[in-house]
Formats: sequence, structure tokens, C-alpha cells
Amino acid sequence: MSHQGYRLLYWLLPLAALALLTGLLVGSVQISPGEAWAVLNGQGDPLHQTLLLELRLPRVLAAFAVGGLLAIAGALMQLLLRNPLADPYVLGLSGGAATGALLALLSGAGAIWVSGSAFIGALVSTLLVFGLARLSGNWNPLRLLLTGVVLASGWGAMISFMLAVSPSRELPGMLYWLMGDLAYAQGFALPWFTLLLVLLILQPLGRSLNVLSRGSLQAASLGMAVPRVEGLIYLLAALMTAVAVTVAGSIGFVGLLVPHALRLLFGYDQRLLLPACALAGGSLLVLADTLARTLLAPQQLPVGVITALIGVPAFLWLLSRRAT
Amino acid sequence: MSLFWLKTLLLAWLLTFSSWSAADIQVTDAAGRSIHLEHPAERIISLAPHLTENLFTIGAGDRLVGTVSYSDYPEAALDIPRVGSYNQLDLEGILAKRPDLILAWQSGNPASQLQRLEDLGLKIFYSEPRNFADISREFLALGQLTEKNRQAEVAADKLDNGIKSLIESHADKSPLSVFYQIWEEPLMTINGEHLISEMLRTCQGRNIFAAAASLTPRIDRESLLEADPQVILGGSQGESNPKWLKNWQAFSELQAVQAGNLFAVNSSLVTRPTLRSLAGTQAICKHLDKAREQLSEAAD
Repeated sequence: MSHQGYRLLYWLLPLAALALLTGLLVGSVQISPGEAWAVLNGQGDPLHQTLLLELRLPRVLAAFAVGGLLAIAGALMQLLLRNPLADPYVLGLSGGAATGALLALLSGAGAIWVSGSAFIGALVSTLLVFGLARLSGNWNPLRLLLTGVVLASGWGAMISFMLAVSPSRELPGMLYWLMGDLAYAQGFALPWFTLLLVLLILQPLGRSLNVLSRGSLQAASLGMAVPRVEGLIYLLAALMTAVAVTVAGSIGFVGLLVPHALRLLFGYDQRLLLPACALAGGSLLVLADTLARTLLAPQQLPVGVITALIGVPAFLWLLSRRAT
Repeated sequence: MSLFWLKTLLLAWLLTFSSWSAADIQVTDAAGRSIHLEHPAERIISLAPHLTENLFTIGAGDRLVGTVSYSDYPEAALDIPRVGSYNQLDLEGILAKRPDLILAWQSGNPASQLQRLEDLGLKIFYSEPRNFADISREFLALGQLTEKNRQAEVAADKLDNGIKSLIESHADKSPLSVFYQIWEEPLMTINGEHLISEMLRTCQGRNIFAAAASLTPRIDRESLLEADPQVILGGSQGESNPKWLKNWQAFSELQAVQAGNLFAVNSSLVTRPTLRSLAGTQAICKHLDKAREQLSEAAD
């Protein structure tokens, strides 16, 4: 583990703090840093208090945790499937969640039911892929990937079907959900708890993950219980993605882009990469959400649009850099 | 002694006066919830174009401190600050206006965002007008909330009487089968629960897709050709001969095409549940009257 890597990791901490601060201070209503400081001291305008503490703070915290979860889940999926194009949704998890959420939206259920059925949909999808991939007995990345991709297109068809038959007045809400939007975030406790829990579980496993990234044969020959570790990685990544999708819909590109960018900076040491993913993914999503709230204010954009707009050119640039 | 009586009288007067000035307002909204205001609403935010329009109709448009995009009628509504679009609300912008009442569109606004506003202590009136009776009820409720009762009653009476006289003058006319097109590609219409279907009923028009399951079903052209309606109506943005109308003329086997019963209705008069829906219904009735004439001419 290099000292240089740790130095880079320390750079990410102020970046994260800066992102959180920006998210708190920028919004469709102007609040100066002085006024915000007064609010944090328990004084200040009651309106500013409500805006900062009840609207912006929970949303910014939820955005940070969701971004962190997606980035780590993406890094784990890329490791598990040995495929650079893997992202948290590649195995159809977001499709399952979306099917659940749209069913709830279609039946006119309340916000809590939408989140709940999204979570159930994600779990159903996870267990389906897990069960189907295990059916053959051996845990083969290619088989897992194929199972997930086929299941994802199945969910995609379900989603299109529901969009086609749903009343037109429900459509905007459904589309916003599919694009990923933090306006629906119900709380930040669950994603933060999941993020910290996963980091705690993964940190002692860092060495095993590093061995695994060289290939499962090599890891097995070094005496590692490969199927067990791979199963754990899959379940953790699925849990993180399920929580993220439940809170904010399927936000694209954070889980694909952030691990790649950080690998270029930090190398392949998972012990550095995963915490760095948490910090960088969180910061990116907070900044993207701030843009989504303010770019066309008072018009609000879904954050998935912004992450994709940033993500697509950045990813293409990264790819072309690697080619040369 | 006289002082005692004077004091009692003064007290009684004060009590009646204070209880009168703090007249509590209690209104039940479309969600069946009761809204309680201590004073008539002074700073209102409307979260749908039809609510903005209805507030202007009862003379309380000047109380609006914020509204959503597409609130374009009456013209004065264009100057009201925007707080997002109906399906993506700018919660910060709404709070910053310090509203004392929010008029929400139950099926249009995102439920989770409305819940958030309610959790922050804001009063929300839910609107969901599906027929003429709902619209007049909404006028009266908005009138109570803004203490514009008299103007609200005038508006409600105008709508009720206007519709009643249309029903009476069309009671003896022959029923017509009507197809109402709300969208060209994909072809979409309305079912019997839609306000436009009630407009058709008022003029003795029978919506051929009244029994469809969804409020705005997508249908194929085959089922329309099979139903062979006597009249085809559709929305326009003011142009007299919209493109969809010309497209139907290719189907010369349709009764409606043979008799020339293709009519464009000004969309903004029929799609919003407001007082303008009366003008929209009158326009539809006029088209259907003309259609009856043209059908009997074609039969001769």
C-alpha cells in the first residue's frame, strides 16, 4: 500500500466537505454563508432554518450516501464480474426495483409504499440472479453476467408495458422515478447506515479482494474460499444498490464512472479504492444534485440527467486515454 | 349599577366582535380532509394551472404569490412567480414565499413532495375536479378559504345554470355517437369518467369509448373504423383546420367523414376544469348541432 495513495485519499476528504458545503449553501433561494452560519448557531431567520435544516441538509446527506453506495457497488460488481463495463445495475437489480416502484405508483400508493416495493423488487431480482447463477453449481462470472443481463431485459419489458398501459397523468412521475431523482428521498439514515456497515465489513477483506481481482483461479490456488467471498461481494453490492435505488431511483453513471476514474488515480488496491469510492461518489452526486436543483431553477431536473450528462463524456475520455 | 351594565354590554359586544373577526374557516377538500384556517388566506400558492384560473375567477387572483409553469390564463397569471412545474415542485421556492395556503392537484403533483410540505406545517387544499359539480364545489370552497363567498357563488351559479340550460335545450335532440381525439400519435381518446365525456353527454353526444378502462386510453384505428362514429372531435391550439383533421379525411367510409362532421375544439377550453369549460361545452354543443343538420342533409 503506497503512501502516495493515502495522500490522495486525504485529498478526497476536503473535497467531500466542500461538496457537502456547496450543496448546503446553493439552492433556488439565496442564503449567504453568514446567514447559514447564524442558522447553524441556532439563530437566524426561521425560513432559513427550515430551508437549511429540513430541506437541504437531509437531501444533501442522502445524496452523499447514495453516491457512495453506488460507487462502491459499481467497484464490487466490476471486480466480481471481471468486466470493466459492469455497473451496479448490470445484473438487473434496478429493473426489479423500478418494476416494484412503478407498480406502486400505478396503484396510486403513497411514497412509503413506492420505496418499499422498490426495495422488494430489488431483492427479488437479486435472489433470482443469485439462485439461477448458482443452479449450475459453479459460480462463473460470465454465467452470472448473462443471467443478470437477460433478467434485466425482462424487467425492461415489464417497465415498458407498465408505461404503455398507465394513465397519461401518471407518466411524468414514473419517468422522473426512472431517471433517478433525489426529490423523493425519504431520509438519510438508512443509506448512511448501509454505507458505514459495508465499509466496516469490507475493510478487513481488502487483501482477499486484491487477490480476487487477479482472477479466481489464482485466488483459489492461494487457499481462498472463492465462492464464499464472491457470494458475499454479490450480496453486499446488491444490498447497497437496493438501498440506493430505493432512496433515489436508478441514478446512472456514478457506479460506472467513479470506480474507473479512481482506479486511474489510486491503482488497483481495493483497501484504498473502496473508501475513495465512498468519498468521490458521494461528492459527485451531491454536486450533481445541486446542479439539478439550481441549473434551471425554479424548474427542477432529475439528478440522473446531470450524472449522465457529466458521465458520458468523462467516461468516453477515460476510455480513449486508456487506448493510447 | 349603570356602570356594571355598561361594562357587561361592552364585554358582550367585544366578545361577539372578536368571535366574528376570528371567524374560523372550515372547508372539506377533494381528498375528504378538512382544512382549517383562522383567517382568510392571504398568500396562496397554486400548484396547477386550473387552480390558478379558478382563483382568478372568484376574484382572489391577487392573493397568489406563486404558481407552476403553464399557468397562462388569465393573462395576469403570467406575472406570478413560478415555483417549479406541476410534477417537479421547487420546495425551497415555495417555502420562501411564506404561503398560508397551498392549492394542490391531487393526481398531478408528486405525493411525496406534498407530504413534505405538509410535514413542514403548511396548509394544503387538495383539488381533483372530475365533473361540473366538482368544479362548482371547488369555486365555493376556494371562496370560503379566501372569504370571496359571493363571487364564488356567482361563478358556481353561472356554471351550473349554463350547463343546465344546455342540457334542457338538448334534451329532445337525437343522440350522436362521437369520437373525441385528444392525441394523434399514438391515437388517444377519453373514457366516460373524463370531463370531456360529460361535456359530450350534456349535448346528447355519446362517447364511443366511454366504457374503456383507463381515463385516457390509447386505441387503434381499427376499433375506431369498426365503431364508425357519426362525429369526430379533437383538440386544436386555435388553428381552424389542424393536421389530424385532414388525416381523417382519407377514411372516406366513415359516416363522420361523409357528412363532413369533423370539428376542431379549442383545447384550452375543454382540458382544464375551470369556468371556461362552460364555453368549451357550448362550442361542442354547437358542433354537434351542426353535425345533426349535416347528417339529415346527407340522408336526404
